[in-house]
Formats: sequence, structure tokens, C-alpha cells
Amino acid sequence: MLQPTLILSLIGVFASATVSANAISQDKPLYSVVEGYKVDNDTMQGFRTWRAAACDRCHGPNQEGMVGPSLIESLKVLTEDQFKAVVSEGRVEKGMPAWKTNEKVMTHLDQLYAYLKGRSDGAITRAKVVEMKR
Amino acid sequence: MEKRFRYSLATTLVCVSVGLAHADAALDTAQANSGNWAMQAGDNYNQRYSSLKQITAGNVDKLQVAWTFSTGVLRGHEGSPLVIGDMMYIHTPFPNNVFAVDLKTQEILWKHEPKQDSSVPSQMCCDTVNRGLAYGDGKIFLQRADSVLEALDAKSGKVVWSVTNGNPKLGAVNTNAPHVFEDKVITGISGGEWGVRGYITAYDIKTGKQVWRGYSTGPDAEMLMDPEKTMTWTDGKLAPVGKDSSLKTWKADQWKIGGGTTWGWFSYDKALGLVYYGTGNPSTWNPAQRPGDNKWSMSIWARDINNGKVKWVYQMTPHDEWDFDGINEMILADIDVKGKKTKALVHFDRNGFGYTLDRTNGALLVAEKFDPTVNWATHVGMKTGRPQVVAKYSTDKNGPDVNTKGVCPAALGSKDQQPATFHPKTGLFYVPTNHVCMDYEPFAIDYTAGQPYVGATLAMFPALNSHGGMGNFIAWDAGKGKIVWSKPEKFSVWSGALATAGDVIFYGTLEGYLKAVSLKDGKELWKFKTPSGIIGNVFTYLHGGKQYVGVYSGIGGWAGIGMAAGLEKDNDGLGAVGGYRDLQKYTALGGSLTVFAIPGK
Repeated sequence: MLQPTLILSLIGVFASATVSANAISQDKPLYSVVEGYKVDNDTMQGFRTWRAAACDRCHGPNQEGMVGPSLIESLKVLTEDQFKAVVSEGRVEKGMPAWKTNEKVMTHLDQLYAYLKGRSDGAITRAKVVEMKR
Repeated sequence: MEKRFRYSLATTLVCVSVGLAHADAALDTAQANSGNWAMQAGDNYNQRYSSLKQITAGNVDKLQVAWTFSTGVLRGHEGSPLVIGDMMYIHTPFPNNVFAVDLKTQEILWKHEPKQDSSVPSQMCCDTVNRGLAYGDGKIFLQRADSVLEALDAKSGKVVWSVTNGNPKLGAVNTNAPHVFEDKVITGISGGEWGVRGYITAYDIKTGKQVWRGYSTGPDAEMLMDPEKTMTWTDGKLAPVGKDSSLKTWKADQWKIGGGTTWGWFSYDKALGLVYYGTGNPSTWNPAQRPGDNKWSMSIWARDINNGKVKWVYQMTPHDEWDFDGINEMILADIDVKGKKTKALVHFDRNGFGYTLDRTNGALLVAEKFDPTVNWATHVGMKTGRPQVVAKYSTDKNGPDVNTKGVCPAALGSKDQQPATFHPKTGLFYVPTNHVCMDYEPFAIDYTAGQPYVGATLAMFPALNSHGGMGNFIAWDAGKGKIVWSKPEKFSVWSGALATAGDVIFYGTLEGYLKAVSLKDGKELWKFKTPSGIIGNVFTYLHGGKQYVGVYSGIGGWAGIGMAAGLEKDNDGLGAVGGYRDLQKYTALGGSLTVFAIPGK
């Protein structure tokens, strides 16, 4: 974990680059992050959604898993559509709630995915993020 | 059973005519026989003490497995079975199956498999635990996760009556064991992390009809509180709580979603006719959002068994900032307190203080730390009854989006629900404890009915500058407020302890060991590795003239949730050395009962 963090930080410092990932069929990157934790407004909203829904109680404060699986690992496997299906329908028999009735989660599903994908990719290097200044 | 029923009915009629609390004859008879384990704590007093003494400090090392039973359910197994005569009643976590086992043949005589909505577990904050059954009036009482309280015929398992105790769609679920006191079944409610407004309810043992319900917060009438007659510790003496004692301590209508749930163990003093219990955290976990003392969350309560009226109440942690639920068991014991024989109530709170009160009137007698690492408060003012909070550890003062670091204990408390035991010979309490600290970062959150209403992110780790382990098993002098001895444990001790007249103390560990230790100094006399980590409570019984000791294993619960990972601190190269992560080296999920005895005659 330490090394990728360092590399990304160095890029950030020397090239002032923004790490971004492209969403399918969109021009806007899925998420943007500098220095590992300063993120764009949408990704910030994803973090707020993660926190408000108390996902950390099962998936851990760092998304590394507790009673629920590690989302760092899960999002290396799940596609965006699969992720959204699991969140909305749940995996009830395993204890994952169906969030489809939760308006806050459902309206911010794209942002939630962006934030967690950034964590899984290793681009967002810590769970707690802040909004980058424009 | 038929005969008992008639006897019980006759008693009821007599009592109705004189207007007294009427006892449940079947439970009284079962309890009087020390060979039974007829209640979750063995008695009304929550002492978890057995007068059986075939197993002693001298022969406990000869204990061997007598028989085992798989419950068929994974996840956390809390509580213990009940034993009445030749029958053992075994329960499981969600879906809350019940097995009636004939101890002569180990045959399953009946099985009850409730059908519950599969979405219920996702409304449960801390694993799908259930803390066990109750017995009385020829019935077995099951408090299901979906809040339905069922009365099962003890002989056939048929449902005699059932009643819905809350709305699981709003997060009002149940994990507590129901308790039978007199002719009532008392039960609580969970859901402090969903903004559930807590209450305790008494149901009629015969019919399931609600007799009374007392809320933890809100208007006096709904709390069953009398502003003039309900007493509380005020300025060094007992004084009436006064009008609107709860409403005054909340901003606007916040008490309606203010928590104070009631998921612990209840106790009962027959002579006083009082039932004792504690209330949980105020909702949300972001304290800045709910100014005021948030009464009567985090409090010890004494209610009249007949009508639920509050005799006295004492708030331990006004305006909670750390999730220190006050629900841990109230142990009733007649002990020496500061040189005076006292009808005491002893309580080991999540907040790390061991409280001793006069249970007849609610006077505060002792409040001392039972873990020396407790740092969020310097002490409890004996006149005010309030903790002196250390500003550095105040998550309210530090505010939302600020990470308050190094608070001891962690949210799971210096002790959680895992019940302690009392030994009348020593007059001491033997307490399973946690030795864990935390970083706590609150954040603003909106309430949505039926959705989590937490509002804080936590990271937990072993107490720093200590032995590196996450638990201790201690002996406590409640009359003086002092630790007598302390035995370090690698992990939190999350198992209810048992004291016996054989001068042995038993408890389980998260690695899965059942341990027997000496009354005198905590020296380990014997241990056995059960199939999974133990968060259940040790119990004992006599069958065929022989003493048995048993315990559920099945890792889970809040402590077990941490086992998979994720409790490491952010940006901390050292991580949680010796933390819950290590638990994976010792145990995996599994639900079973292991029963021990000394071989031979």
C-alpha cells in the first residue's frame, strides 16, 4: 500500500497531475483525485453517501471488509452494472440490505461507485476524502 | 404440567383478589431446584451463581466433553440454553430456531422454526445474535429478531400466543432474551442505530396481552414517570425528577428518534417488586446534532413490576458522545458497601465505570473505573452523579468531521452485554471485560425512517501502553470500587461468566476456549478449545445426579464482526498489533453447544 501511495503523491507534486479514470461512454472521468484524497465534487458526494448509509459497519472503515466483504477487492471483480444491482437488490441471505428504497443511496449510486472504484483502484489512498479546491 | 397449570391458576386468582404481584408457580418451582438452569442468569438477581459443587477447584482439571450439539446456524451465538428437569431448550441466532432436547436420550423432541422476513438481519446493527429463551407457566418464550414475542408450549413446541413488539421496518428489532418475572414476560427493543425510541414492555404470561409499556424518552406519562414520586440522584441526595424531565433535555422533537433502547438483561427483586434494567445510546452518534442531556438514555431504571411506574432512575452518561450504551446487566446482591450491609445494585457500564447503588431507592454509593485505561472522564462526581469529561476526548467539543483520537474505552465499552457473575462467599464480582480504545469521528446525518442513523466513523484498537491484549477477566470489589485481581486476555472476553459453589469461575474466550479459573486469584485451572469462538454464557445443571457445565460456541456479535479485518487504523504503519485481525488464526464461524462433565460416577 505504501508504494503506490508514494508514487501517486510524487506525480501529484511534480506534475500537478490529476489522477482520473474514465467512465464508459462518458467524457467526464469517473473520478478525479489529487494527492490521494482530494476529490472532485461527485466523488465527495459518493463518500458522503457511503458514510450516511453506514456501509462501514459491515465493510469496515477502510472498505477492507469486516462481516461484509472487502470492497477494495469486490470492485476489482464487479462491473459497474453488477455493483449497482447488488446495492439496489442486496444480497439479503448474506446480510447485504437492498437499498432500492433508500432515496439517498439510489440518487447517488453513480457517485458512490466512483468513490469506491477510486478506493479499489488504489487512486484514492485513504477512506476519508476532502473536496478539492477549484 | 396440567397440575402446575391448575396450581398456577389458583395462585393467580388469590393474588388478583388481594391486588398483589402474582408469582408464576412453574418458574418459581423450577428456579427453586438448583439442578435446573431455568433462567438465562440462573436467578432473578442476575448473579449467574450456581450452588452446585460436584465440580470443584480440586477436580475441574478432569472435565471432559460429555456431549455436543450443532445448532445448524452460523454467526454469533450469545446467551445459553435453559434446563428444566429432563429437558434442555436450545436457541439459535436468526432465524431463531428452538430445539427441545431430552437430556436422557439427547433426542430432539420438538423443533420450532419461525418464518421471518429475510430482510430483518439487515436491520440489525451488530450481527444476528439472540440472547436466549425464557421459561414460565409451562411455556418457552422466544423473542424473535423481527420483534415477534412467541409463547411456545414447553411440551409440544406449539405456539400458544404471539405478539408483535415493534416494527422491524423502522429498525425496531430484538436481540434480547425475554424475562419472566411474576406473571409477566418482560422484553426490550433494539435499534438505537436506526433512531428507534426505546421502551420496555410487560406482557401477560397467559395471554400475551400488553400490561404496560414504558418509554425511555418523551412525555412523563409515556415513560410512566411521576414528576413528584420518581426519584433521581440530585446534589448528593435523592430528589423527585420533576416535570418533563426528559423533554427538557432534548432539542425540539428529537426525543422521538432519540434511541435509549433496551436490549440488555433485566433483573428483579421480589421483595421490592422492582424490575431493573438500563437504556442505550441516544441517537445519532453525532452528539453536536442533539444538544442536551438526552434523558433518559444511558440510565439505570427501577420500575414497579405491576404497573411499570418508575420508582427511581439514574443517568450515567448524560449527552453521550461515544456510544456507551447503558444496557449492561444490573446485578442485585446484598453486600458490604463502605462498611455497611446494603441491598445493592451493581452495574459495569460500557463507559468503564463500575456503579454500586442502593437498589431500594437509587442512591449512588460507588462509581469507579474498572479498567485503569479509561480516559474519557477523570471521575464521577459523587454529589452530582455526573462524569467529569476530559475535553480532549469530547467528540462534541471537537465537533463533526474531526477525528477524536485515543478514546478509552472504545464504543464497545470496557464491558458490553456479556454478563458478569457474583460469588456470595467472597462477595466479589467476576467480570469479563474489553480492553479496547478508539478514534471517533462524528458527522452530520439526516434521519430517514427505517434507514441507519449512525453518524460517526470509528476505528478500534487494543488499549495502548498496556499488555497488548484486548481483554481482561477481573475480580471486582463493588463495596470499595476496586479491582482485586485482573487476568489479561488476548481478545475481549465476550462470554458471560459463571460462579459455582465449587469455587470455580468459568468463562469463554473469542479464540474458543472454555476456561475455569480460581476464585482466589484467577489462576487458570483448566481450559478446552471448543469448535468456534465463544460469545455465549456459561451455564451449569444437574442431570441424573451429575453436574454438567456447558457453553455455546459460535463467533460473531460485535466483537466477532471485527475479526475479519478493517479494525486497523488508517495511515498507521503499526496497525492493530494483536488486534481482532489475529482472531482468524484461531477460529472460524460455527454454531454448537459443548457440554462437559467429570467422567465416571
